[in-house]
Amino acid sequence: MTKSFVFLLSFFAVGFICFLGAILFFQALPFLSSDSGLLSWGYWDFREGEYHALSMVWGSVVVAVIALGLAFPVGLGASIFVSEYLTGKKRAAAKMAIELLAGVPSVVYGLLGVAFLRNWIFSPLQSMGAPSSDTLFTGGVLLAIMVLPTMMSFSDDALRCVPRRIREAGWGMGLSHSQTVLTLVLPQAKSGILGAVMLSFGRAIGETIAVFLVIGRSDQLFSPESFSLTSVLRAGQTLTTKLGGSEISIAYGDPHHWSALMALGGLLWIGIAALTYFSEFVLPKRIHVP
Amino acid sequence: MNLRSFVIIFGCWLFLLASTVSLAVSKLKIQGSTTVNPVVSDAAQVFRDKGWKITVDTQGGSSGGISALGEGLVDIGMSSKPVTEKDRKRFPKVNFVQHTIGYDGVAVVVSRPVYESGVKKLNREQIQKIYEGKIKNWKQVGGFDKPIVFFNKEPGRGTWEVFAKFLYDDTKKAPKVFHPEVGANEEARAKVGSHPSAMTQLSLSWATDQEKLAPLAIINEKNEIIDPTIESVESGKYPLTRTLFVLTNGQPKDGTKTFIDYLKTTEGQGLLVKHGYLAVGSKP
Repeated sequence: MTKSFVFLLSFFAVGFICFLGAILFFQALPFLSSDSGLLSWGYWDFREGEYHALSMVWGSVVVAVIALGLAFPVGLGASIFVSEYLTGKKRAAAKMAIELLAGVPSVVYGLLGVAFLRNWIFSPLQSMGAPSSDTLFTGGVLLAIMVLPTMMSFSDDALRCVPRRIREAGWGMGLSHSQTVLTLVLPQAKSGILGAVMLSFGRAIGETIAVFLVIGRSDQLFSPESFSLTSVLRAGQTLTTKLGGSEISIAYGDPHHWSALMALGGLLWIGIAALTYFSEFVLPKRIHVP
Repeated sequence: MNLRSFVIIFGCWLFLLASTVSLAVSKLKIQGSTTVNPVVSDAAQVFRDKGWKITVDTQGGSSGGISALGEGLVDIGMSSKPVTEKDRKRFPKVNFVQHTIGYDGVAVVVSRPVYESGVKKLNREQIQKIYEGKIKNWKQVGGFDKPIVFFNKEPGRGTWEVFAKFLYDDTKKAPKVFHPEVGANEEARAKVGSHPSAMTQLSLSWATDQEKLAPLAIINEKNEIIDPTIESVESGKYPLTRTLFVLTNGQPKDGTKTFIDYLKTTEGQGLLVKHGYLAVGSKP
């Protein structure tokens, strides 16, 4: 009885994700089957009936890569300190603070971004040639702060999973604490840390409101020239900021436009699913202790 | 945890879910323009004090309001632009009824430093060239040597449509531009106010008496300088004027009718004047 009941509940969860995927797919089908060129050069403008999403895919990837580039070294360093150098109550307090940071609603980060981050990084951005501080880069920096707790928390877990006897073996060999951490513990935790990176990447891709407020939300023309630093210093759009914007309410009653937006949702769904699959199943989680 | 408590918790969860749904049904829902919003929100507060349940939302601006009413998601739409034939074709089953509640202007707004540097008025051609990125620096229109950054109001917003009609006569003729975009009036005001050399389109009443930004005077075809004030809108000289509407599906009934009637009373019209708009009686 209990078994079948909890089976029913887990069936809800699995069923819901399949249902979601199916809805997105079938709603996007009319658009996809109309030879739309969703993933081709061009731009997105519903007034002209132009629906090309590569610029948003590029925006999502750039923003997430910048976020990870900034959050990875800081997050890994901090997690090494918390996991290997802090003990007892201090460690618990630090860990709790990190997890608290992860619980702050994203709109709060977004408002802080609008009020402070945009102004702080305006002059360095301007000297690099950015017209305003509503850029893909700003979105990346804000996201870096937001994924930092994810990065730290999961790296810390990965490091804690390395058995104590590995450390003891290092000390027994006469290695200092730092040498033990860097040459023995860190390589053992590698796959777990990679998992942390993937999860942070997924969070960065999926984040909406905070990025929405600082990215400029401009549908740029996507051409081969877009692969440049200049495009990173311009206003842009990600898949989530497009879906979080006002176009959803404009698209009611226009089947083609609606279907195009559902296709964007589908792209995002596939991207997140692929990342999750990769971090859950492809990366080996087990730590092999000889 | 045994099965029984599990089922009880699950039952409570279902009950909570069901109760939120049933609560939502007994509300008067309003959605649309951020320009109309302050007036309607004040009016909604008057009715909330009488025990009504009213939600006012500005997701999607005027177009969002029209679409949400068309889809039957709300009882009243707020719009700072008229309903078009295209909208009526999109929702053939819906009989959009427009209730004029007041008037507003759309201001061309610049950051305060730009205004101080000498850019205090522009003509239509200059604004058009700035919008299309052909004029790139404020010194080309009499200001300091700083690049012009244009924050474009999202297409579909009432403000954008008035602006595009002013420049191109027809919104369909407006060329594709690649400026950073802003949505609600609050966002436009915050982003231009925090930038040293920016420009945007903004509801006139939202742009008046602001510390960090200033509305520009418009030079008309007769070379007259029209000040960006509500008096210019009232006299009919200011070129970027618009009507503020609330929309219903068919003639309003019951609560919806009471609410809209209130907006047309002296007290309701006073709310428009309070927020810097023109009341219906002073039609431009």
